[in-house]
Amino acid sequence: MGNILEIKNLVVNFYTYEGVVKALNDVSFSVDHGSTFGLVGESGCGKSVTARAIMRIIQEPGRIESGQVILYPETVDGNGSVDLLKQSEAYMEDLRGNQISMIFQEPNAALNPIMSIGDQVAESFLFHQKQILCETILSELSDGQHRPSKAVLMCLKTIYGKAADDGDSFFFKLLGSVPFLRNWDRRLKSVAIRRAVSLIGKLGIPQPERIVNLYPHNLSGGMKQRIVIAIGLASNPLLLIADEATSNLDVTIQAQILELLKILKKDGISSILLITHDLGVVAETCDRVGVMYAGNICEIADVREVFEAPLHPYTRALLKSVPKINQDDRLASIPGNVPNLVNPPSGCRFHPRCMAALPICRHEAPALVNAHGRHLVACHNSSVA
Amino acid sequence: MATFIVRRLLLMGLVLFGVSVLMFCILLTFSPERRAAAFVTSPQQARDIPKIIIQYGLDQPVYIQYYRWVKEISAGNFGYSTVAVSPVSEAFMRYLPITIEMNLFSTPLIIIIGIWLGTQAGIHKDKAIDQVTRIFAIIGWSLPTFLFALLLLMIFYGLFKLFPPGVLSNSVEMFIMNNPEQFIRYTGMYVVDGILNGRLDISLDALRHLVLPVVTQVTVVIAILVRVMRSSMIEEMSKDYIITARAKGADRKTTCFKHARKNALLPAVTVAGWLVALSIEGSVTVEVIFNRPGMGQWLVQSATQLDIPVILSVCMFLGLIYVTTNLIIDVLYAYIDPRIQLS
Repeated sequence: MGNILEIKNLVVNFYTYEGVVKALNDVSFSVDHGSTFGLVGESGCGKSVTARAIMRIIQEPGRIESGQVILYPETVDGNGSVDLLKQSEAYMEDLRGNQISMIFQEPNAALNPIMSIGDQVAESFLFHQKQILCETILSELSDGQHRPSKAVLMCLKTIYGKAADDGDSFFFKLLGSVPFLRNWDRRLKSVAIRRAVSLIGKLGIPQPERIVNLYPHNLSGGMKQRIVIAIGLASNPLLLIADEATSNLDVTIQAQILELLKILKKDGISSILLITHDLGVVAETCDRVGVMYAGNICEIADVREVFEAPLHPYTRALLKSVPKINQDDRLASIPGNVPNLVNPPSGCRFHPRCMAALPICRHEAPALVNAHGRHLVACHNSSVA
Repeated sequence: MATFIVRRLLLMGLVLFGVSVLMFCILLTFSPERRAAAFVTSPQQARDIPKIIIQYGLDQPVYIQYYRWVKEISAGNFGYSTVAVSPVSEAFMRYLPITIEMNLFSTPLIIIIGIWLGTQAGIHKDKAIDQVTRIFAIIGWSLPTFLFALLLLMIFYGLFKLFPPGVLSNSVEMFIMNNPEQFIRYTGMYVVDGILNGRLDISLDALRHLVLPVVTQVTVVIAILVRVMRSSMIEEMSKDYIITARAKGADRKTTCFKHARKNALLPAVTVAGWLVALSIEGSVTVEVIFNRPGMGQWLVQSATQLDIPVILSVCMFLGLIYVTTNLIIDVLYAYIDPRIQLS
């Protein structure tokens, strides 16, 4: 199985007033075609930053310093790669939501409060599937159920035919700035809304025709998260990034959403990059797991390996701190705090809290090396690795 | 929606009642003699002050005087203005258009430029346009109106002789006074009347006199709107739904204007509405300095000469403006933000 996404030596810094926050320090991992990759770690370890760096939507004052984000969109065996960090903004706009899309952790904040649900979902169609929408309109026009007069029909056919060819041409920019005439795309919008209705319906939301006219505040958290997922799925992306998509939901809703993701993966999306801090979710859904700590990847392995034979001290400590029902003694925790990334610890960023730290850990950052099979770990302590 | 508006209109009556009672009580803290003195024009008449007091019942209890005032007001009699030397309602019709005319130019400028500048500054935070806007906002915000107005007057009238103070040039004013039948005062606003009478030269002359007051008004008032719009734009641009929009593939224009600006407008609408009301009231300094006989100047003179009917009526009028503006803002709010339901 080839990769769909490969991240190499990604470095992201945030230039804040306090100083430079070294949020991602040489992050590398790859996501296989047709698999679910889980990225786990504590809050603030750089999981979301990684996701946003892939999409190149890091907000000010963040900056991607170096590295590569390689997408293999064309073939399963990995020919035809694109380094996303080298592409133009226009290319990225075309790619976002189309080939890679993202669903977010806070459904309450992730939707525009004053835009109707239908408009927000339809936007994805309008951005990426103008051509298909125009063709739909054209075929409906020639079908002629509610037929306008001949002259209007001619006009509409010309306009939508033209839009199907090249919807971003200068002609449409001009048309869009003329009052009254700028409403030419009304039909386009209504077709997009119709598609939104069917998509929302597919995600198991009752009465989608009613939902599209509502606003985010009319819906419950679980419903909103489904809408966010609908936005992400609108263009059948190759890769879906789920950034803590279930973290803020009730456990029952969480289970529903995870189930939904599983089903969707079966019949459509090729791969999922699941970002979470919940090890239970990882065990439930992922094929492969990457563990992050303070902007570094410590360990990457198949999901069974990680849970059964973790190699990195941080992964071990993390697994120990998951509560178990038949546990009588105190819950294990990792001593110390998450480091401030303005002044991260030298060497291995985990060494001040590490039980198995060696003198070398203080001044030399360990490289991510292959321990055995496809199990990668970044640790100096060979008794560990 | 309709019930909401009706209820607010009823509430408006209550507010006006409150304003009138308050004003009345404040004004009646002046002694009857002091109030009667407002009618006195010559030293001989001063002997008649006790007579005046009895004749107009100035020494009667407050509620009786208030009742009498309300009765007169509801009959459409707003009293006589000694400052304007005419009945209040007549003087009102003379002064109001001057103020409205100025605000007709300054208000759209404040709203359009304010929102545009604020948006641009917010989008291009810390870039050149933001820095320049902030400097102007601070100047407009911190420079006293009278000082700014005087500076403008010194430069553009004193130095360049470009934009004179007043409402019209002397020659034009003489012409209108001498030929009332050739220049009919439809609205009382010279710019509009000039067009209606087909005298574009008069319109232009009036416009020339409007430049400095409008510039002053806009510069002073716009600062608040720009700052509110800027900060609210910056706040909205950092919200999660902007990331969602970008992840959907929205270009910069769509994220800024379709998503962020509409949300950012909410606080700006409040401020803009309030500024409109404020600038109608706050034309005082501008009108005094640029010698424009509008509501502001009239109110100032009436206050210093204790022209009580004018003070009462103008305050009621300003109260009315504030309440109406608030109502319009609330309706606009519900129109922009679906989360707000008027009921």
